Amino acid sequence: MEVLNNLAFGFEHALTLQNLMFCALGCTVGTLVGLLPGLGPLATISLLLPLTYSIPTGGALIMLAGIYYGAQYGDSVSAITMKIPHASSIVACIDGYQMTLKGKTGLALFTAGVSSFIGGTVAIVVLAWLAPVLGEVAFLFGPADYCALMLVGFVCVSFVTTGSLLNGMAMCLIGVLLGQIGTDVNSGVQRFTMDLPFLADGIGIVSIALGCFGIAEITKNLDNREERSPFNGKIKLMPTWPEFKRIIPSALRGSAVGSFLGILPGGGPVIAQFAAYAIDKKVSKYKDEIGTGCIEGVAGQAAADEAAARTSFIPLMSIGIPENAVMALMMAAFIIKGIQPGPNMIAGHPDLFWGLVASMWIGNVFLLVLNVPLVRYWLSVFKIPYNVLFPCILFFCCIGTYSVNNNLDDIFITAGFGLMGYLMMRLELDASPLMLGFILGPMLEENFRRALLISRGSFSTFITRPISGTLLSLIGLFIAWQLIAFILQSRKKVAPAAEQPA
Amino acid sequence: MKDRNLARGLFLVAISLAFGLTSRNYSIGDFARAGPGLFPAVVSALLFLIGIATVIRSFFVERVPMDVHVKNIAIILGSLCSFALVSLFVNMIAGIVVMVFLSTLAGTSYSWKRNLKISAGLVAMALVFSKGLGLSLPLY
Repeated sequence: MEVLNNLAFGFEHALTLQNLMFCALGCTVGTLVGLLPGLGPLATISLLLPLTYSIPTGGALIMLAGIYYGAQYGDSVSAITMKIPHASSIVACIDGYQMTLKGKTGLALFTAGVSSFIGGTVAIVVLAWLAPVLGEVAFLFGPADYCALMLVGFVCVSFVTTGSLLNGMAMCLIGVLLGQIGTDVNSGVQRFTMDLPFLADGIGIVSIALGCFGIAEITKNLDNREERSPFNGKIKLMPTWPEFKRIIPSALRGSAVGSFLGILPGGGPVIAQFAAYAIDKKVSKYKDEIGTGCIEGVAGQAAADEAAARTSFIPLMSIGIPENAVMALMMAAFIIKGIQPGPNMIAGHPDLFWGLVASMWIGNVFLLVLNVPLVRYWLSVFKIPYNVLFPCILFFCCIGTYSVNNNLDDIFITAGFGLMGYLMMRLELDASPLMLGFILGPMLEENFRRALLISRGSFSTFITRPISGTLLSLIGLFIAWQLIAFILQSRKKVAPAAEQPA
Repeated sequence: MKDRNLARGLFLVAISLAFGLTSRNYSIGDFARAGPGLFPAVVSALLFLIGIATVIRSFFVERVPMDVHVKNIAIILGSLCSFALVSLFVNMIAGIVVMVFLSTLAGTSYSWKRNLKISAGLVAMALVFSKGLGLSLPLY
């Protein structure tokens, strides 16, 4: 009952005309920018961040969340119609694009929209119920436990997003090191600033995100010339009743999987999509058709995507630790608006917290009633040639970077990270763990120092505390498993080198 | 660069050395009272280990060539920097125009007319941002 009360309280705040407008605006702009080739949710959010600066806090958070969902939906639209494999909607490319080839673009887009709605609704119930509970658990955490939890996050994100523990951990650590640039809070010493005054406050996360995801992606698209979409411009949105019935079970399965995987550290939309797709392939009534462009292949993953996108707010808002790169950026945005996400957020700003939760659902409704019927107009974005598009994206990168501090020096930092992001992309290093490391770096150092201060310099505190001990031994087990798997694999390779997965 | 895996390892080692050697300038302290240099030193040591492991691993796995198109990234970065410089010394409208005309050099075709249209559109957009949304842009 308490949950219902709280939700009602939240809707009271979210349903003001102003907040409704911010929510709709966020969803629409987010979808539009998310559609553009080469711009995933990370780049979209950082590009649009400046739009929220002059808006009151509650509205700004609601709009940001709207931008995030919009960007995700836009992403899946570009995956279905163009097969542009963004990291965030890679699974939608498989069956969605096959449906486009069959001329069923409209049905695929409708399925994605409805399934997202179902997934989002389920996830919000989970969020409203679980976040306050987890928030109380968070008060049991000491500094050593926070350190261990962040390390678990690093390991999971490295493994999930890059598939290679070594590369991912390296990127996390680079992120942590970049987070060290600036003034040390404990001693006041300026670290790694090379005596440049504009580095004294550290590097802005927007510069990193736009450099590594915006600039690097634009250049990548310029390097390999894009192909035309087979999408023929004709869209028949409404499905027939039997088609509609096929959406429901697989969307519900996807929601459950997504809600669960969204909460885990390192989890989030990407892994949830893969899991939901795999489950549908095992248990769906139409499992033989999956992969050739059928409804289930789109519905399950779209629901999981949306559900995980929402439940991944749970660790951020209840423990104060973002679990993936998008949430790290969200956290930065919260802090810019003067809100520290964490266990105190629910108690200290109940209107913001429950308003945000309620607005998530409203955002879902907007996606359904605005974006799905209007999708044919959104798609005209694709008619813009890339030669016109990329100077515009660059312009937004410049404005986005500049408006954070009204400082032109930041644009040079963004350019620097553009170069770094491009190099890393060519070196097959994924930049998302870097973002997480960058946001968690200062927190990790703070808790690391505090834990050692309390234990008088003894590292045993990390092992003897039950929470951190458990988490660290999980990491140990995981690394051991990876090592054994690597050794077994290289032995197998010596014998028959034929059985390599493509 | 012929081998991407080796290049990656060297890249990581270089970053870890850059941070690790600089962190020696700051006091380390001891574990109970950590100085500002301790944590970066620990993290760059870990990164160094990962970099070395990547280098060693690159001798055992197949070589993958690395392709870098210097031209495009140079044009994009150049246009960003000139946007900042022109905005600093002249104003942002000039910066936008310069950026559009420079960056489109990386495109497949180049057209003065099209660039003028893009510039006009973006300047209008910037005006909307500054007047409508209250961003403070030094447009003129």
